[in-house]
Amino acid sequence: MDLAFTLIRIFIFPGLLFLSILAFLFEWIDRKAYARFQNRIGPLYAGPSGILQPIADFIKLMGKEDITPKYVDALIFNNAPIFAVAIPFFASLYLPLDGSPILTSFEGDIVLLLTLMTLYTIVAFIAGWASTNRFSTVGAARAVLQFLAYEIPMFISVASVAVYVGSTSLTYISMNQPVPMILLQPIGFIVFVISMQAELERIPFDIPEAESEIVAGWLTEYCGPKLAFLRFAEDLKLVFCSGLATALFLAGGSGPILPPLVWFVLKMIFVVLLSSYIRSLFARFRIDQMVSGCWKYLIPLSILQLILTRFVGVGLRWL
Amino acid sequence: MAMIREVFRHLFKHPVTVKYPFERTPTAERYRGKHEFYVDRCVGCGLCARECPALAIELVPSDKNVNGRIPIFYLDRCIFCAQCERICPRAAIHLTKFYELASHDRKTLLYRAV
Amino acid sequence: MSYYQVPIGPQHPAIKEAFQFNFILDGEVIVDVKPRLGFVHRGIEKGMELRTWTQGIFLAERICGICNVPHTTCYCLAVEKIYGIEVPERAKYLRIIINELNRIHSHLLWIGVLGMELGFHTLFMYVWRDRERVMDLVEMISGNRVTPSMNCIGGVVYDITPEMIPVIRRNLDYLEERTKYYKSVLEEDPTIRARTVDVGVLSTGKALDLCAVGPVARASNVKSDVRFDDPYTLYDTINFNLITYDTCDVWGRAMVRVDETLESINAIRQALDKMRPGPINVKVKRIPPVGEANARVEAPRGELLHYVKSDGKETPYRAKMRTPTLANIPSLCEMLKGYYIADIPAIVASIDPCYCCTERVMFIDPNKGEKWTWSYDELRNYSRKYYGVGV
Repeated sequence: MDLAFTLIRIFIFPGLLFLSILAFLFEWIDRKAYARFQNRIGPLYAGPSGILQPIADFIKLMGKEDITPKYVDALIFNNAPIFAVAIPFFASLYLPLDGSPILTSFEGDIVLLLTLMTLYTIVAFIAGWASTNRFSTVGAARAVLQFLAYEIPMFISVASVAVYVGSTSLTYISMNQPVPMILLQPIGFIVFVISMQAELERIPFDIPEAESEIVAGWLTEYCGPKLAFLRFAEDLKLVFCSGLATALFLAGGSGPILPPLVWFVLKMIFVVLLSSYIRSLFARFRIDQMVSGCWKYLIPLSILQLILTRFVGVGLRWL
Repeated sequence: MAMIREVFRHLFKHPVTVKYPFERTPTAERYRGKHEFYVDRCVGCGLCARECPALAIELVPSDKNVNGRIPIFYLDRCIFCAQCERICPRAAIHLTKFYELASHDRKTLLYRAV
Repeated sequence: MSYYQVPIGPQHPAIKEAFQFNFILDGEVIVDVKPRLGFVHRGIEKGMELRTWTQGIFLAERICGICNVPHTTCYCLAVEKIYGIEVPERAKYLRIIINELNRIHSHLLWIGVLGMELGFHTLFMYVWRDRERVMDLVEMISGNRVTPSMNCIGGVVYDITPEMIPVIRRNLDYLEERTKYYKSVLEEDPTIRARTVDVGVLSTGKALDLCAVGPVARASNVKSDVRFDDPYTLYDTINFNLITYDTCDVWGRAMVRVDETLESINAIRQALDKMRPGPINVKVKRIPPVGEANARVEAPRGELLHYVKSDGKETPYRAKMRTPTLANIPSLCEMLKGYYIADIPAIVASIDPCYCCTERVMFIDPNKGEKWTWSYDELRNYSRKYYGVGV
């Protein structure tokens, strides 16, 4: 009975199936919001107000011809999309969507989640490298270079939250925020949102897949079902990162009247809208400007947040 | 910064997209679209066919006028420059506002008034 | 140190027309550029020789989709010089109005394209939404949004009625307000400044050496504009400024174009004020006298030249065009050296390339220093041999 319950929780609700539906829903929200910021309509005809458009795109891509070019490294090229989808799925199982995590929670699971995000960047790099296309190589190199820039501020801002709450378990942090962290650590929230934008490879940091320079970056050689999976992986990453931001900074599923799951999803939608807004505001940075900007501005800000937390926040709590 | 407030305001504005073909923007009065040929005014002088830059007018035999020929218009070759309308001495050609001329078959793009 | 070569084109999502630049790279830094044009050659100069003088206007209009009005104006000015006639005054002001409307539309299009090349899709959408107003104005005056076909030999074809003038003024006020907003965006937005300031620098000396024209030269502090140096169609009665910037980079070129848009709006207002009622064209004979003439106009991209020669027949003997993008290509190759791959879209977009205008064919033997052209029969024989059809 317990086993059946756990399996339903993992695979159906609020597990993999629910996460997939959330991924498609968030892609629709992102596309609609991006379109409205630009004074256009966005998806309109597939389903009511275009809500089935991401699913339609996925099905269309799955139906296309699956081409593996002759000179690629077939083992990595063919299996990279599977890893790209599996990593955000596995990481999202640790999000406390309805108060308790789907899989399990333990002290230090934040470190596991951040390591999984590192693994995703490695997958992106080897996928681009295995494609042996000039544009993919440049895109893969840029992905790793970008990773060097946003990784540290993200870790430090997450660490500031953990230091304040006194635990490294995501469930514990999201459950124990009488005042949401966004009010107590606004600098940390801003740094986290900027690094999240860089991790999700969205404008102004979509340098690894800059369309106007290197065609599609590390995704160039992929087509058909493999591309469908890679795009789905990007949506899953959006779900995971917004879930992480909600659990860390916006007090998880707590709120009056409505059940915690609904509050969690609503706060995730708020983070997605914020990300779409930032996406429509800026042009794309150059890779050297991005790396130098992160090291010159983001890292000192996140260290400042950590110092403030350690000496002011924790001290205030003792008073 | 200039863009922040402007972009945020657009979230509440009505989108400017026109949902063609369910809505259409009106065309101007002088819009040069499909031809309208008044066969009773034509005298068969052939100036329109000589002047057309795209060779889109062909004179075919007819009994409607004294010279024995009237023009037919190949709309798939036409560039809608309205030179035929300008040069006609009897104002027998007029370009209307109708522009939805896309078709799967070239033969449907031949305009014969009679 | 090993260099590798990356071709951009002829198929690439960043470029709108087929051209090829072979970049020789050292890591991410560009060392050298080898351009290769010729993918969009359509044989327009040959086509001019097979069509009558009036039909040639429409062929000249279709050389470029964006700067079609300067092409027809230049061709008509050259042919009118052969005829030796003077167009009426109202026609000259109408030509100013339609040329400046075309300049506004071209510069607004370019700002959107710059935004798209930099990844700034929001700016692209906003600017092209406002550009629709210009196209609606052109449609109201002449009947077509893109190719107004308003020039004819001897004047213009369509007139502006008194009911249209308030509509034009209202739209010009709206465009002026929006252009000032876009100017503030270009001046203040940190990402645009980070991508365009000190990128693609072309010093004043190099700009003069390599014969840059148009906004490319004016952003390098070179005062050259055909409307001031060699005024045609009564530009000397219109009061407006020659815009130069001395920053010599992509940002300077963007600011030159934005400021020129504001000046064009003022020029249209002055032309509307100064226009007096009168005829709008003069009738000319079908065949011009023997002679040759050339004319220059200021297209949105720079100085445009048309040369026409007549030998008393129904069709021209020779028509030659020199478009501004062709003059800017050597400057482009110079501007790209020493910058990163990521700067390529911004720099290539900053000269406002219009490759369909650019394509001309000429045979050069660099060893012997000879130049020659082919006749129609030689071209035909070559193509029959190439395709194995038999001479």
